Amino acid sequence: MDAAALIVGNALAWCLGSALLLAMPRRSSDQTAGEVAWTAGAGYLVGAFLLTVWMRALSLAGVKFALLPIVVPVAVLTLALAWLARRRAPGRAMPALRAAWRDLVATPGLDGAARFAWWGAIAWLALRFTLLAVEVGTRPLYPWDAWTQWATKARVWYELGGIVPFARVTAWLAANGAAYFDASPEYPPTMPLLQVYNSLLLGRWDDTLMNASWWQTALALAFVMYGGLRSLRAPPLAALAGALLVSSLPLANAHVALAGYADLPLAATYVAAALALLRWIAVRSARDAVTTLVLAVALTQIKNPGWFWAATLVPGFIVARWPRHGVRIVVAGFAAAAIVLVALARFQLRLFNYELKLTYAPAWGDLAESYFLLGNWHLLWYGALGAAALAWRSLFGPKLAPLTMIVVAGLMFLFVVFGFTTASYYITDQTTVNRATLHLAPLIVVFLILAWQSCASDWAARHARPNAPLGDAPTSSPAPTDASGPAPAANPSAAG
Amino acid sequence: MNEPATAATANVPPAPYRRIARGALGLFALAFVLCLAAYALVSVPGAWFPGASSQFVGARAFTTNRGTAIADGDALAITATDASGLALIAANVDLRSLDYPIVAWQGFGFPANADVRFLWRTDYAPNKLNSLPVPIVAGRLAPLELARHPDWIGRVRGVALAVRGPLAGPVRIVGVKLEAGGVTGELRDVVGAWTTFEPWSGTSINTITGGADVQPLPLPTVLVVAGLLALATWFALAWRRRELAGFPAAAAIVFLAAWIVLDTQWAANLVRQVAATRAQYGGKDWHASHLAAEDGALFAFIEKARAKLPAKPVRIFVVADAAYFRGRAAYHLYPHNVLFDPFTDTLPQAAWLKPGDYVLVWHRRGVQYSPEEHRLRLGDGAPIAAQAVLVEPGAALLEIL
Repeated sequence: MDAAALIVGNALAWCLGSALLLAMPRRSSDQTAGEVAWTAGAGYLVGAFLLTVWMRALSLAGVKFALLPIVVPVAVLTLALAWLARRRAPGRAMPALRAAWRDLVATPGLDGAARFAWWGAIAWLALRFTLLAVEVGTRPLYPWDAWTQWATKARVWYELGGIVPFARVTAWLAANGAAYFDASPEYPPTMPLLQVYNSLLLGRWDDTLMNASWWQTALALAFVMYGGLRSLRAPPLAALAGALLVSSLPLANAHVALAGYADLPLAATYVAAALALLRWIAVRSARDAVTTLVLAVALTQIKNPGWFWAATLVPGFIVARWPRHGVRIVVAGFAAAAIVLVALARFQLRLFNYELKLTYAPAWGDLAESYFLLGNWHLLWYGALGAAALAWRSLFGPKLAPLTMIVVAGLMFLFVVFGFTTASYYITDQTTVNRATLHLAPLIVVFLILAWQSCASDWAARHARPNAPLGDAPTSSPAPTDASGPAPAANPSAAG
Repeated sequence: MNEPATAATANVPPAPYRRIARGALGLFALAFVLCLAAYALVSVPGAWFPGASSQFVGARAFTTNRGTAIADGDALAITATDASGLALIAANVDLRSLDYPIVAWQGFGFPANADVRFLWRTDYAPNKLNSLPVPIVAGRLAPLELARHPDWIGRVRGVALAVRGPLAGPVRIVGVKLEAGGVTGELRDVVGAWTTFEPWSGTSINTITGGADVQPLPLPTVLVVAGLLALATWFALAWRRRELAGFPAAAAIVFLAAWIVLDTQWAANLVRQVAATRAQYGGKDWHASHLAAEDGALFAFIEKARAKLPAKPVRIFVVADAAYFRGRAAYHLYPHNVLFDPFTDTLPQAAWLKPGDYVLVWHRRGVQYSPEEHRLRLGDGAPIAAQAVLVEPGAALLEIL
């Protein structure tokens, strides 16, 4: 009964977001490979966020949290968007779904070892998600911040039927019962509201099953990774490899199993926003532009560092908008930002409880241990360095420059935080360093796949055998293709 | 005449890619084995294939010569040092030092700056007490290699562990393993460290170790070295054959193979963890799950407290020695309007408390209540009029009058 309630109730978020994406105007050339997976994954992230926005609106209007006022309007909106989507593109949905199913099952272009790898990866993913589902569905809320900073709000808002303010000690004492207290009163409400929603679906407070959203976020992340990479012209096996890499990162798995922190949702939303931006750069579709903006706003409402992560998308936009001088503009921007930070450090600027300081004392040894020796990331950072080294010639070329600049901006953000703020302490004790890195990790997987793709393409061009008969040309993955944007599809069979 | 493409040929990847995959994976497997063999041969102290088998001296064999130690299950918990700040546990043994080049104390809970020394006597110099500092890694005692130690000679007659205090908390010793070493033993230690079960803990949300806390050879290191060796060999062979076109594919295959090896280790750990979680919480409803959790006793008390509290949320000040219990108590009390100090063990000021407020106490020193006078004193603060609502050993709920 509980499972049915959660599945049906959470399907609303998936459907809302997917319907919104499909309802937005799009050109026929927007039909790309991986579109079904992209729509589902990005749709969930958008839909879940919008669901919480609606809950905030209800609370602001004084409407008590309950299933009817939340679900009915959202369901009506979803149906309206679905109708609009059908009107804009009649007769496209079913062929696209059939094509996606055919691509999944028949795996055209794959044979022998490649097909074995395809099904092996899917089976591995299925096993992983099954294990995580059992774990998150069995264990009560466990990690520290989850029950001191996040689910505290969920419990109060669920029981009181609305959003009530949380405050620091002094304000709490002055409020005389009108405000609540927890360890981080200023944290954004999105994730607690999803826990409230799940509790409403269950009809009770249940701090085990209310965390179903974290498992769904991981699933959406896998879809986003596959669909996003496919739409950026990665071959099916490479895109599936990206989904496998991101879904098997141990720390990401830990954040699903020990649900309750906002880091994994932030990571999923960030990489989805970046991929939406890269898709927009490739085909300049209004749909991708709106998706990027919605997800960028969602970042700021999931966790406070989301503001900075959203800002790291700007260099990618600048490079795409002004391809001739974009890299120089961004580098100048980084230099200007560094000067501003140095100036602000003199005033002991404090942001989100971290103090900016000029003393440069990062713990490189502990950082290296975390990235390269411990079990947090498998071989992600080795792979990223290797891919960057192999593709160094094209990192700032037109195909990869936007992605490279976003990654550089993200790394620089982490560098400043761990090198020039009081957060450097958290490298030594291996706490915040890894959770902050988790925000960037899925995008590093994207970088790894696309940089390898670019390298392989250049390498094949340089090392192709002269006068080789046509039959010798590779016809299936891992055949390299340009990582420059969505492959325009002439017919629906290329979608999915 | 055009030969129609059949299903068998239409989707067949070109032979070179199959050859690339076979070659790359074969070289990688070979390189992995070679790396392990090289490590074992270089790092093995003493004989490569010793005749002796490892010996384990359990906690029960030890006597406490200095300080205070109590039996704690299979371990010996050293709870206090003596007046000179020393705790010493010792056991008699009789074994040939040559046969056991590695001494691995199995203990945990040691602070990073603890002064711990391994002591031993031999028949070669029976009046000499030999000692060696024992490194601490992640709260545990690291193994010692004694093959080249000049005093590890003859027959070892006694072993001891000295811990110099003060001790912030008890340190536990399960025993000492005298390892025969050898290539097989070394590989067993390496692989054993990789496959040690890493259950969820308070730090798992921040860091995953990937096996044992202390590892002689991290698996990522071996895989990266093996991968680079394999790719270098593949490249050299392909260069000679002028078939470099497949290098990116070879690199991808080796990378993914190494990733899958690591992920298999992680997946195996996850399977064990899921089994442990199911054993602890499986089949239980929300209420029973919380009673089965680490803070079950606190939860049970809070449930009784909630039954005594008004239905409408009231202000409750939570005090406890440990931050964990302050936070957990507050979490279980919501939606009552709780105030607690998440970071330091402070007491609320008397001026903050108003009639109708409550104070919940969980294992907190410095809180005094007089049932005759109905007076509550928090630390050195002024006494406040209060009524005990619920009292249990170490815990109380009091209403401010």
